[in-house]
Amino acid sequence: MSVRNREWPVALALTPALILILAPFLWLVVSSFKTEAEIGRADPFTWPADLMWRNYLDAWQIGGFADLVGNSLINLVGVVVLSLVTCAPAGYALAKIRFPGREWLFYAFILGLTVPVQAIVIPLYQVLFGLNLVNTLAGIVLVQVSNGIPFGIFLMRSFFIGVPDDLIEAAKIDGASHFQILTKVFLPISTPAVQALVIISALSTWNDFFLPLIVLISPEVQTLPLGLVRFASTYASDYRLVFSGTVISFLPIILLYILMQRRFTEGLTQGAIKG
Amino acid sequence: MVIPETPGKVVAPLSTAPAVAGHTGGTFARMSKRGVAGSGSSDGDAGTAFWLMAPALALYAVFTLLPIAATFWLSFNGSAGFNTSASFVGFDNYAKAAQDPIVWKGLAHTFLWLAYHVVMAGGLGLLLALAVSRLRITQVFFRAAFFLPHLVSLAVVGVIWANIYDPFFGLMNTALTRIGLGAFTQGWLSDPALVLFSVNIASSWQGFGLYMLLFIAGLQNIDHSLYDAAEVDGANAFQKLIYVTLPGLREVTTFVVSLAMINGLKGFATVFVMTNGGPFYQSELITTYIYRLAFQSQDHGLAAVLCILLSLLAIAITIVFNRWRARLSQ
Repeated sequence: MSVRNREWPVALALTPALILILAPFLWLVVSSFKTEAEIGRADPFTWPADLMWRNYLDAWQIGGFADLVGNSLINLVGVVVLSLVTCAPAGYALAKIRFPGREWLFYAFILGLTVPVQAIVIPLYQVLFGLNLVNTLAGIVLVQVSNGIPFGIFLMRSFFIGVPDDLIEAAKIDGASHFQILTKVFLPISTPAVQALVIISALSTWNDFFLPLIVLISPEVQTLPLGLVRFASTYASDYRLVFSGTVISFLPIILLYILMQRRFTEGLTQGAIKG
Repeated sequence: MVIPETPGKVVAPLSTAPAVAGHTGGTFARMSKRGVAGSGSSDGDAGTAFWLMAPALALYAVFTLLPIAATFWLSFNGSAGFNTSASFVGFDNYAKAAQDPIVWKGLAHTFLWLAYHVVMAGGLGLLLALAVSRLRITQVFFRAAFFLPHLVSLAVVGVIWANIYDPFFGLMNTALTRIGLGAFTQGWLSDPALVLFSVNIASSWQGFGLYMLLFIAGLQNIDHSLYDAAEVDGANAFQKLIYVTLPGLREVTTFVVSLAMINGLKGFATVFVMTNGGPFYQSELITTYIYRLAFQSQDHGLAAVLCILLSLLAIAITIVFNRWRARLSQ
């Protein structure tokens, strides 16, 4: 190794930084098991006398977290599936087929890649209102998919461009259509790109706040981040509920990440670089 | 967010030469050999192309392109809310925006906000990447652990940090008091001079993980023989950092800075959740003011002007950084 390996000194030096950066999580998890009186003592360095699992039960029921998680899952699956179904063919067409207007479309998608969604929010709401999609999960799915389309298309396109044209020619001689070439030849060898698209669209959907805030008005249709914010402001002074509700909101994604750490890392890095 | 290679022109800055199946290692520095967009098997395939594009294009036209155009239109019209008819007012809304002190405040805060974010989140990402990438056995552990905050929704981050900053029961003030630094307790979110910085810490805490990953990927792409050569020349660790590592990270740094600026520009959730722009508009950003104008005071004309301003800022940042990157990779 040309860079000298100082494993343990570096690891040791990084440990305080790690504790500091993870302190918000540790503090919330510990506090979420305390009684209201223990929280009132305002001492972050003590453990709860008994683990108050009841806090979680109460928060789960009062906050309606079952519905929030359910809505978030429907939202996520809808966006991931629709993103793949729309972006893969479009990315293929932009990468591999010459057609009039391709350059024009390319710039149209770049425009959407650059303009922040906050900057189009008023007409966006009006369009949804006109289509009767305000306050529906279908509405939020369509808006989020559309918002992610430029990124998804460029991600798929940049991967497909690297696939040799010979493969297409060979498949064409065998009588395959472009659609068959996409599904039978391109997609099977594009796992990294598909994985990146799935992970990035899933994570950004699960965590989205701005669009749900605009579209999902009544509590029954709200997703997890939006529901937590509503819950935390309603029960602002009931700390044990807010703490445990907050832990409920971040725990699933963190556990999932720990299980699939490598895929997340690859997907996010690749996606950020290529999108 | 890298602008991909333009058709017919070789710009292709960071976009890697995409490799076939199985390749996942970041290859920042490698330029795309095929800068020209798309290759071209295709005669008489225009119809097929149309059908392949159609689903994406339909959604995109309705929910993105139409709203972009409508935002322009709104900015030239007077409108008092969602259910009222609009009338053409020329540049009145623009004049109104220029005279609105909150617009100028929001703009100044937005610039300050993205500067904080670039320095704190980008800087922390770089420092941690430099340290973590020296590890072998524990690298995966540290990389994953430092990345955890990035998985949390910014809205949830807002709730977490609003509690951390709670003046009486929050982690910040209670921990300071307990370790004998009670003099440093603050009204983190109520002090007008401090609030923007406090909220930005929450956002940067959530943001640095991705930048760290990108820097780590960049570090892995630095040619190891350069370090060997530097060692032969008798360079010490510091000299290697200055003359090999940092120059080797130039491209990824421009990328991270542009990404951090764009993310900063879009900052909304933490401010909305933690302070809603207050106290006294001291944490109001362009985005939170747009939301207020659009959905609370329903001044759509003024909001539309700010939307256009926000878009222009995003476009300007993207263009400048893509030019810069293109120049670097030449």
